[in-house]
This record gives sequence, structure tokens and C-alpha cells, in this order.
Amino acid sequence: MRKVSRGWVLTIVLVSLMSLIFLAPTFAGDNLPSWWSKVFPSKGIRLGLDLKGGIFLMLGVQVDDSVEQELNSISEIIKSDLTKSRALVKSSDINGSTLTLNFYSKDDLDKALTAANDNFSNVASINASDLSLRIQLNSAYIGELKKNALTQVKQVIENRVTAFGLVEPSIQTTGNDRILIQVPGASQQDRERIVDLIKKAAVLEFKIVNAAGITEDVILQGQGVTSKEELASKNLEIHPGETGNQNENFFLTEDVAKVTGESISDARISFDNFGRPAVLFRFKGDGATNFGELTGENIGQRLAIVLDGNVKSAPVVNDKITYEGTITGTFTPEEAKDLALVLRSGALPVPVAVEQERSVGPSLGQDSIDKGRLSMIVGGILVIFFMAYFYRLQGIVADIALLLNMLFIMGFLSAFGVTLTLPGIAGLVLTLGMAVDGNIIIFERIKEELANGKSPLAAIEAGYSRSLWTILDANITTLLTALILFWFGTGPIKGFAATLSIGIVSTVFSNVIVARLVTNYFYRDKNVTTVSI
Amino acid sequence: MDIFKLDNTYDFVSKIPTAVKFSVLLIVISLGSVIYHGGPNWGVEFTGGTEVQVNFPQGPEVKFIRDSLETQGYQAEAVQQFGLASDHEYLISFSPKVVSFDQIQDFKEKLNEVITTTPEFADAQIQRIDYIGPKIGKELVQKAILSILLACVGILIYLVFRFEFGFAVGAVIALFHDTIITVGAISLMDKEFTLAIVAALLTVIGYSVNDTIVIFDRIRENMAKSLQKSFPNIVNEGVSQTLSRTILTGVTVFIVLIPLFFLGGAVIHDFAFTLIVGVLIGTYSSIFVASAFVVYWRKRKEAEKVM
Repeated sequence: MRKVSRGWVLTIVLVSLMSLIFLAPTFAGDNLPSWWSKVFPSKGIRLGLDLKGGIFLMLGVQVDDSVEQELNSISEIIKSDLTKSRALVKSSDINGSTLTLNFYSKDDLDKALTAANDNFSNVASINASDLSLRIQLNSAYIGELKKNALTQVKQVIENRVTAFGLVEPSIQTTGNDRILIQVPGASQQDRERIVDLIKKAAVLEFKIVNAAGITEDVILQGQGVTSKEELASKNLEIHPGETGNQNENFFLTEDVAKVTGESISDARISFDNFGRPAVLFRFKGDGATNFGELTGENIGQRLAIVLDGNVKSAPVVNDKITYEGTITGTFTPEEAKDLALVLRSGALPVPVAVEQERSVGPSLGQDSIDKGRLSMIVGGILVIFFMAYFYRLQGIVADIALLLNMLFIMGFLSAFGVTLTLPGIAGLVLTLGMAVDGNIIIFERIKEELANGKSPLAAIEAGYSRSLWTILDANITTLLTALILFWFGTGPIKGFAATLSIGIVSTVFSNVIVARLVTNYFYRDKNVTTVSI
Repeated sequence: MDIFKLDNTYDFVSKIPTAVKFSVLLIVISLGSVIYHGGPNWGVEFTGGTEVQVNFPQGPEVKFIRDSLETQGYQAEAVQQFGLASDHEYLISFSPKVVSFDQIQDFKEKLNEVITTTPEFADAQIQRIDYIGPKIGKELVQKAILSILLACVGILIYLVFRFEFGFAVGAVIALFHDTIITVGAISLMDKEFTLAIVAALLTVIGYSVNDTIVIFDRIRENMAKSLQKSFPNIVNEGVSQTLSRTILTGVTVFIVLIPLFFLGGAVIHDFAFTLIVGVLIGTYSSIFVASAFVVYWRKRKEAEKVM
């Protein structure tokens, strides 16, 4: 490395340029020319809720639906129990928190009563009279159901927003049936995407197609009925079609899906034979078996892939399929990506509605932000002066490396879309304080080598090369910590780990490569007699 | 400029027994304080709190709103502008220590009273008042702790691979030592355990390991160079040779931390406090915990060999 290596100089120039490009939107904001966003990234550094605010969404969660769902599943369990003991339910009815099952015979009722008492006596009060069985859920259990529904919705939304990137949202439950979501920064476009992502119920169903038609009436006529209610009694249902085919605006399918998105283990974006974006999904466990049965029994029929009530595509089943399938349709790449994301993170257990959508200001007051900024500027400047004072010319080398380091770190943070909060930035300033550690290790080593009688250039050479592994060992260990925190941590921990990892990599590069090149440049004359250190 | 004479070797090893007593004392105080305070004093991100959405048609300044509430004994955690600035609508949140779950109704009445008696708050409307859950749930805390423990295992494995087993254990013991004492200091000062503090603690862990390894590296280098010297001597030399670097790095970090501590405002102040304690302890432990453990470990290994 005695000669200034051209390759490294080129690398530094390139990385600096890239950093500047990534940072331009942060500093120039809306003043960038309009062609910029077509050629270069237009997102700058994302500032957190504490510094910049963002959007605020208040979601109403229909937790009451969880009660009906629970009663439905209780009804299913009892019915399947009764099928085993050859008993029959005449009709069932759900009203509020009560499930009523009616029977043809006293014998059947008794069997049902036993089944209900065996399974649900701890969560509901159970009465039998006049050939009907009434199961009323306890209020404590209802409270628990609703609370669970709220927590589950929060979990699903958290998964979805987190998977969207390092956005560091704030998601909180409030009261008994609301969720408050704040997402930092978000441009108008991001905002719409995030709202869609959150609202999407993502209920995926697979149903065999009975018929398709331009209007609902055509389909009703085809079945010889006049209303949807009549269809329901034949266990059939109409879904609007979104397949892009004008002749198939509506589909007639069975009403209950045998396979749903619940048994999906993975989903990601792929492309169909025509290069159009699609979503590839895989089944797990029972889902694979059930899907295999469904497709195996219906070869030659059409299978509707129904998302949130709309038929996305209805391919003909050519073969028995067990493990994976594709949803094609009219997607943009973003839509396909987001759909894969919501399928992965699971369906919302109960529906939600956006009750309020507003922008919010920073959660920290402007005075706190100003104070924080001042303290960091003072700290940064002091370090720069300290190094120059203490190490003279080598101190200046360290300062140049430090400034470039800062540029690289900010550029990478911008490129990776890391959200910066006030403590995050303070941490970065501290990284700079620690970044000079590498320089100090090298400079102290150079001093030692000089004291041992080495010539200036030999001392510099030895200082840099002998310190290399010290610096690497120390930083690789910390980087390892940061990467483990990144992989296994969630939310703010992940954001912190990303910032730390970027800081470490950039710092080592600055200490080992940048500082070395600058030093070489300063001492390019072979007849150096003293080292200014 | 030199801080220390280069050829001076200071005798650190002889101070180890005193240092062990000192460390044990600090750890006992730290754990004692945490237990006495009934665990960490969790911040509002971890506990949730009460949130009020209020509209002020007269448009008072945020500082005025904050101060008026504070004179009534209600210290707001955050006052956040809601909607456009011209809406004069704010989200004001309170820690459960200020307004507990059971006090929300009383608080609402009290708040209405403040609104009617303060002319600047005329026509103000409470749009919503409710208890909000924590931003950071229990699962996230558990996951965070788990990932930190995993990170420790990662450090251990890397150091076993690069150094020797005793060095690796020494570094991890120092890391726990630093974390426990820093948490103890936060608890002693009765500071809130916020997300910013968690970030600071993670930084302390990074600093602690980094500092330790620089010294270990020198000890290893000297081990290869001077086989005839006794191990405690090698450690003394290694620590002495890196002493000026240890101190200088500590000083530069402090140069950043001091302005953060004094000028940075509430959030940054606590962040800086944690780091100041962490960096002091981290520097001390690199010498008197990590290196000390290596000396002890070597001595045991040699004793085993003799037997």
C-alpha cells in the first residue's frame, strides 16, 4: 500500500458519489429537479415519529365478530360430534352471545347436551328444553375472546407494517376495540400503500366454480332462482370477479371453502408465463392434504381463488396439486408484493375499519429537537478539534476519514431506508466518537514504533499493518452482535442493529483504507524525516 | 504528545484482589437497587398510559399547554400536534404514574375544569380520552433479551475461535458486569427505563467488548513474543502498552458525551448518562475484570498441568 492504490481511490470516490446521490433528497427536499426521481432514488433519510411525525390511523376493530365466530365453531364441533354418534341437528341459530340448536328427537338432544357439557361447560351456561339446546357464553369468556381478537389484529398489523421495511411504526391498542397506528414520515404514495396493507383482511379461499357470467342475474337465471337467498339454501354463493375478463364479472361457487389461506406457510412474488406479476404460495401440513384432495377430485373443473370475497383468478385444474399454487390476475408488481406480504402475515381474525386518518407532528417538542441537535453539533466539532490538536497532521488525516465516514454512514442509512430517531442519531454521533478509536490505535502504534527507532515511513507502515487485526477483531465482534440483533430482534431493536452495522462497516473502511490513503498522500515524498503526530 | 511514558509498565495484576471486591460491591448495590425499586422503572413505551385528544380553537402554544397541565400536577409525557397546525388539535399523553387507569374519569372532569378556568383554552373540546396500551409489548421485550443472549453466545464463539477459551469467557463476564452495573446506576438514580436507554445499553455492550478485545489482542501479541516471561507480567505489559489508547478513546467518547449530557435535553440527557456510566465501567472492566479473569484462568490451567 505504499503507493497510492488507484483501485482504492476509485472505490472511495464511487462510494462518496453514491452516498451523495442517496443523500440529495434528504437535504434538497423538493428542490430536486423533476427528472431526479426517474433516474435516482427519491427517498432520503427517514426520520422517526419523535422527530418528524407521520400519519396517524385509528382503527375500529369489530371485536364483536369474534363472539359469533366462536359460537360458529362451537356449533361445528357439536355437529361433527353428533355425526359420529348418528344424531342430527334440525337447525341452528346464533343470537348475540347465544347459540341455539334445535333437534328432531329427545335422544339427539341428550347426546348434544352431553357433548356440549363435556367441551364447553367452563365457558358457557348450557340449557336444554323443548328439543332445543341453548349455549350462552359467560361474560368473562366473551371479554377474553374480544381481548384476544384485539391482540391478534394488533399482531397481524405489526407483522405487516414491520415487513414493509425498517419503518419503526408505533402500534398501540386503546380502549377495548381500537388500535392506534402511527407510521413515520410516509409520503402520500407510501401512505396509501400502508393503509391498504393494514386494511386488507387477506382472507383467501379456494372454491370450485359452478358457473360464471356477465351479471348476477344471468347466473341466478341459470340456476332457476330469483334471489341470492335461494342460492344460499342450495349452499351456493356469488362472488364478483376481478380476473380482467369482461365476460366473467361474477362467479358462482360453493358457499363454504374447503381450503383457506390459514394453511399457507409462505407466499412471495413471482411471474406467470406472460411475465405478469403473480403471487406464489405454499401450503403447510393439513392444508397441503386438503388442497390435494380438492384439486384431485375436481380435475377439469375451474378453481376460484377468492381474496376478500373477490375472485382473483379461476384456472382450470389440470392435475392434483398439493404443495404450491399461484395467484395470477391483474396485479402491478407492488400489489403482488404487498399481497404476498399480507398472505404471509396472516388474515385479520375480525374485520377492521379506519375511523380516523390524520397527520401527526413530532412526538418530541421542537425545543427538545433543537437541544438535541445543538448538543450533537458541539460534540462532533469538539472531537474534530481534539484530534487535530492532539495528533497534528495525523489528526487531520483522522478528521478527513471521519467526515467521509459520516457521509458514507448517512448515505447507507438513506439507501437502506433505516428510520432515524433522536436517540438513534445521538448513537450515530457517538459512533463518530468511537470511530476515531481505530485511528487512535494506529497512531499510538506508530508512536511506539518511532520510539523503537523505526524510520518515519517504516513506523507508519508498521503502525497500520500491526493494528489491522486488532481493529478487525474488535469490530467483527461488535458487528456480529449487531447482525444477531438484526436477525432476531424486532421493531426498534432491529432499527438500532441496522444503524450499528452500517456504522461499523463504514468505520472500519474509513480507519483502514481512507486514513491510510490520506496518510500515504501526505507522506508521498520518500525523504520524510519526521512524522507529525 | 504522549500521555504516558511508553516503556513504563504499571502493575495492574497486583490490584486485582481489590478490584474484585470493588466490582462485587458495585454489583451487589446494583442488584439491590433494582430489587429495592421492584424492577426497572419502565417508561411509557413499555407500560402504556392515558392519551387525550383535545382541540384548542384559540391556538395556545404547546409550551403553554404543557405548563398549565403541570401546574395542576399533571406532567404530560408528550404533546403531539394532531392533523394540520391550523387545526390546533393535540394528542397529549400521560404516564400511568400521573394518571392511572382507574383515575381516567376523575382526570377527565379535572381537565374540563382546567379548560373552563383558563381563558386561553376557551371552547376547547376533549375529542377522546382513553387508556392506550404499550408501544413495546412483552413479547418484544422477551425477544430483545433473547437476541442479546444469542449475541453473547456469538461473541463467545468468535473469541474462542480467535483467542482462547479463557479470553472469551473473560470478555463475556466483563460484558455482563458492565450491563448489570449500568442498569444499577439507572435504577439508583431512579431514571425511567425507556427505549433510548435500551439503545444506550446496547451501545455500552458494544463498547465494552470492543475495549476488551483491543487489550486482549496486545496480550496475545506479547504472549507470542516473550515466552519466557510470566503470564501476569505479559498482562501488565499488554495493558500498559495500550493504556494511552484506552484513555484517549475514553476521552474522545467523553468529549461527545459531555455536550449531550449537559445540552441535549431530557431524552438525550438520560441516554448520555447511561453511556457515561457504561463507558467508565467498560473501560475499567476491560482491565480489571476481563484481563483479570484471563490471569486467573491461566493460573488454574498451569496448576492443573503441574498436578
